[in-house]
Amino acid sequence: MESQACSRASLEELSSWTMGTCSLDKQGSFFKLIDTIASEIGELKQEMVQTDVSLENGLEPTEAHSMVRHKDDDCSKEKDVKTCPRDSGYDSLSSRLSILDRLLHTHPIWLQLSLSEEEAAEVLQSQPPGIFLVRKSSKMQKKVLSLRLSCEFGAPLKEFAIKESTYTFSLEGSGISFADLFRLIAFYCISRDVLPFTLKLPYAISTAKTEAQLEELAQLGLNFWSSPADNKPPNPPPPHRPLSSDCVCPASRQLCLINGVHSIKTRTPSELECSQTNGALCFINPLFLKVHSQDLSGGLKRPCTRTPNANGTERPRSPPPRPPPPAINSLHTSPQLSRTETRASMPETVNHNKHENVALLGIKPTPIPPPRLKKQASFLQAEGGAKTLTSSRPCRDQECQLEQEQEPSTAGSPGGAPPAEARGDCTRAQPACSESRPPWHGGRQRLSDMSISTSSSDSLEFDRSMPLFGYEVDTNSSLEDYEEESDQETMPPPIKSKKKRNSSFVLPKLVKSQLRKMSGVFSSFMTPEKRMVRRISELSRDKCTYFGCLVQDYVSFLQENKECHVSSTDMLQTIRQFMTQVKNYLSQSSELDPPIESLIPEDQIDVVLEKAMHKCILKPLKGHVEAMLKDFHMADGSWKQLKENLQLVRQRNPQELGVFAPTPDLVDVEKIKVKFMTMQKMYSPEKKVMLLLRVCKLIYTVMESNSGRMYGADDFLPVLTYVIAQCDMLELDTEIEYMMELLDPSQLHGEGGYYLTSAYGALSLIKNFQEEQAARLLSSETRDTLRQWHKRRTTNRTIPSVDDFQNYLRVAFQEVNSGCTGKTLFVRPYVTTEDVCQLCAEKFKVGDPEEYSLFLFVDETWQQLAEDTYPQKIKAELHSRPQPHIFHFVYKRIKNDPYGIIFQNGEEDLTNS
Amino acid sequence: MMAIRELKVCLLGDTGVGKSSIVCRFVQDHFDHNISPTIGASFMTKTVPCGNELHKFLIWDTAGQERFHSLAPMYYRGSAAAVIVYDITKQDSFHTLKKWVKELKEHGPENIVMAIAGNKCDLSDIREVPLKDAKEYAESIGAIVVETSAKNAINIEELFQGITPCVFWSSPLHSGPQKAGSADGSARRRKRSTLSLKCNLRFLHELGDFLRFMSPDPTLGPPRKWKQWSNQTWEAKHANQPAVLLIEAHGPLYLKKPEPPP
Repeated sequence: MESQACSRASLEELSSWTMGTCSLDKQGSFFKLIDTIASEIGELKQEMVQTDVSLENGLEPTEAHSMVRHKDDDCSKEKDVKTCPRDSGYDSLSSRLSILDRLLHTHPIWLQLSLSEEEAAEVLQSQPPGIFLVRKSSKMQKKVLSLRLSCEFGAPLKEFAIKESTYTFSLEGSGISFADLFRLIAFYCISRDVLPFTLKLPYAISTAKTEAQLEELAQLGLNFWSSPADNKPPNPPPPHRPLSSDCVCPASRQLCLINGVHSIKTRTPSELECSQTNGALCFINPLFLKVHSQDLSGGLKRPCTRTPNANGTERPRSPPPRPPPPAINSLHTSPQLSRTETRASMPETVNHNKHENVALLGIKPTPIPPPRLKKQASFLQAEGGAKTLTSSRPCRDQECQLEQEQEPSTAGSPGGAPPAEARGDCTRAQPACSESRPPWHGGRQRLSDMSISTSSSDSLEFDRSMPLFGYEVDTNSSLEDYEEESDQETMPPPIKSKKKRNSSFVLPKLVKSQLRKMSGVFSSFMTPEKRMVRRISELSRDKCTYFGCLVQDYVSFLQENKECHVSSTDMLQTIRQFMTQVKNYLSQSSELDPPIESLIPEDQIDVVLEKAMHKCILKPLKGHVEAMLKDFHMADGSWKQLKENLQLVRQRNPQELGVFAPTPDLVDVEKIKVKFMTMQKMYSPEKKVMLLLRVCKLIYTVMESNSGRMYGADDFLPVLTYVIAQCDMLELDTEIEYMMELLDPSQLHGEGGYYLTSAYGALSLIKNFQEEQAARLLSSETRDTLRQWHKRRTTNRTIPSVDDFQNYLRVAFQEVNSGCTGKTLFVRPYVTTEDVCQLCAEKFKVGDPEEYSLFLFVDETWQQLAEDTYPQKIKAELHSRPQPHIFHFVYKRIKNDPYGIIFQNGEEDLTNS
Repeated sequence: MMAIRELKVCLLGDTGVGKSSIVCRFVQDHFDHNISPTIGASFMTKTVPCGNELHKFLIWDTAGQERFHSLAPMYYRGSAAAVIVYDITKQDSFHTLKKWVKELKEHGPENIVMAIAGNKCDLSDIREVPLKDAKEYAESIGAIVVETSAKNAINIEELFQGITPCVFWSSPLHSGPQKAGSADGSARRRKRSTLSLKCNLRFLHELGDFLRFMSPDPTLGPPRKWKQWSNQTWEAKHANQPAVLLIEAHGPLYLKKPEPPP
């Protein structure tokens, strides 16, 4: 009890501190604040651990404890406690479901965006006070929280508008904002803040013991409210203490601890930096939400899990199904590494738990969420133990490669080292680079820089220790994450970073180490955006989903059918159209679970979907597209023309090209070349454009060369032409085309679009550099392009359907002796099996087509398809079934001994192909 | 939060007439440090509040030299407006301007709003192009014309303000609540919607010939004020005076896309 009182006191101190900071804008005080918060949190955690131990041992049964003690499965959990060591507040997560888990699993029940006000009132009418729904109000054009009130409030229910800013969700009138809707609701289940009382979960949800039970409830959806499953507790607790002993989670203990805190208005450092006065404030809540609720229940089994077994058995229905974990697994189960990981992610707990940690290493197989590899590396190096990472593991090469991919982007920036240098030893180069990075990179938003200023979760790449979203943290995600960094890393726009961050975020080492203390806290935020992008790209690899099927079929169709496009523009435009349409599909479909609206503020949804499209469509296609582009340009002679003309233009002096401003010298041209080379490695057109902007920025800097004169297009375009010629990179042509056609059309009007146009123009000038007569020819050519662009924009706007792209059918061809091969065919919905058979005979080069037929293999059985059936319709029907079915269309001999086929092999071939 | 409307504006004109100076002046006067600057002066943005909206100008500068002429279509595609600049001290630049107008009419986006800016009006003692010529020409093509001085910040704001309402006149828009009254037809009392436009009177007059307000409910008839307005005769002396036009209607107002005059 004493410790609790103490913790309350310290929290109050903390609160006064943070309140005070609203007006703080001096760096010194700011760091002091961080330090204070860090130490407070450290203390808090220590206390929590202590209280917990005492709880488990039953040493000090106090009032508060007894109040929240659970009748159910406490005993079973206590066993776990003994076998699993605890190293920190974070890692001692139990299998008990947190409020957040419960909310996540049951969102089909309470998240009813399409419900009208009347319907919501009807549902809530029969519910006890505190029960809530989230719906979208057509009146306000906003999401609202509909809350059932008790009779003394007059009205039966009240609505609270949910405010969505670019990165956060908050209740109107409240200063506390959250990364997503689930966290918001979870918080208000614990603290009332601006509400009349805390939210309450329906009895069935709050008492469910397993995720499976929750899933079962969730299946009911809106029907839950009228079903017997929604049985109420015998005596509904009074509304002001909805989370008392007989219901849910250990939340009431959180109440004790959090009560002192919930009125705190904490700012994230970046908000402090901006020193805006009216924005919503961020509150570091996951720490409290999670740790407290978990600790109390005492269990230590991790709910979410890097172990696929537990994953599979515990939640048979939880979406989405995982692909098998890749080899990188081994990295994270290595005990030595897991120790580092723990410490890296929880630096502030190291002190209290050091001995325990070290002592328990041997008996602690529990996998720990791995931090970002880079972070790991830098940490290791700091500890002088870098050698552990260089041991050979299957994944190392891959990582190095990825790291290299990423490296030049850092190095290529002004003042950075050329990539060759960085490539030498990737594990070593990384931390060194992050330390010596010039101020310009201060805005690079890496945790290795500890620039926690960037609250907007984008920056918080250090996202591994986010166990809150149990099922999505899985073994292969770390590789994933790493890849992301190589391309999808948040690149600040070239100019902002320089101007803004420079001033406030060049951190001395000392400060960095202090900030590092906070990293554990901040790591609990994983950017919802990244989470979403990752989830979508996982979904895209899952052929059991309609979306996955669509994407995979399209990708393989493109790769296999090189002859299907007449020109490079045609190819790129089809891909762009496909991305746009899939985006439309995704934003409307229910395959994303939980729905994207609950995780991403509305004005950001398109941005996030676009990123996801780049990742799941452009990434696998990049190599193919590049090769194809090159082929096209070789074939039509433009490659050769450009090559010859580049030579010609390079021999001219700047004045002959119309340049009357200072031009970049050799060193600058080298720098620009490096940036262009980095650009070639990116798959995301957005990232490529970002690099192009950096190149242009550098050109401007050179041109202005302290003269202060502003140069418009009259001067800039000639210089750009000159620079592009000097770089002498033929690949730029395809790069520009790639960007121009694949960039989100909405961005073509912006700065990126402008410089892309200028680069395209410069290249056209070079290509047509046959003195003056070329002008006419070019003119008609550019007009053609113009017409095509216009067409593209209008088509994108008018057809938001995936119709064109669902017309792919993957057919396997099975021969008794030669195994199985697969091909993706273009099959329209009304094409009969007969026609498909003909097509197959052609494609698979079958000599005796009458001997073959199309079969459907589903649920372990074979069905020969009648000639007049429509395979696409069958496929659609199979997809529309509630349970996902694994099925294959197989083209094979009719008179086949059914037992003579080893279809397991065949199936594997299929899924792998 | 106010809605942001993006508005692509393309700058055309001979080299040396001061295209980028005009933009720099427009963008950098009353410079708002919260708005992220662009990397260079060839492409600049400026956000201006306008009614209950924010208008974000995305200004695309083009290279004026003859050799880059052929690239212009790529720059003006998708533009809502084109600002064509000439130098009042150079007759040649006025000829080039006419070429641009012709090209835009032939190949430019439909409904592109054209504004003519006679720059360097601070040097009117060495003027070669009389203001009268420019006005007559502008009238003949239905464009706005102003003489500006980027150096002395004369008429720069006005130039860009002038194109804003015109641009939105020529694109479909609606105002007021989207759903008037309740869904069932019984409710006769509907919310009034008003549309206020700050615009150049002469320009309104010209548009008035072919603009039609559309009311989605035919029983409501045309908006009352519109009738008054359209019956009014306009005098030449009002032309080019800024005015605010307030249109009231029962029910929502929709502005039909103007059909090209016969």
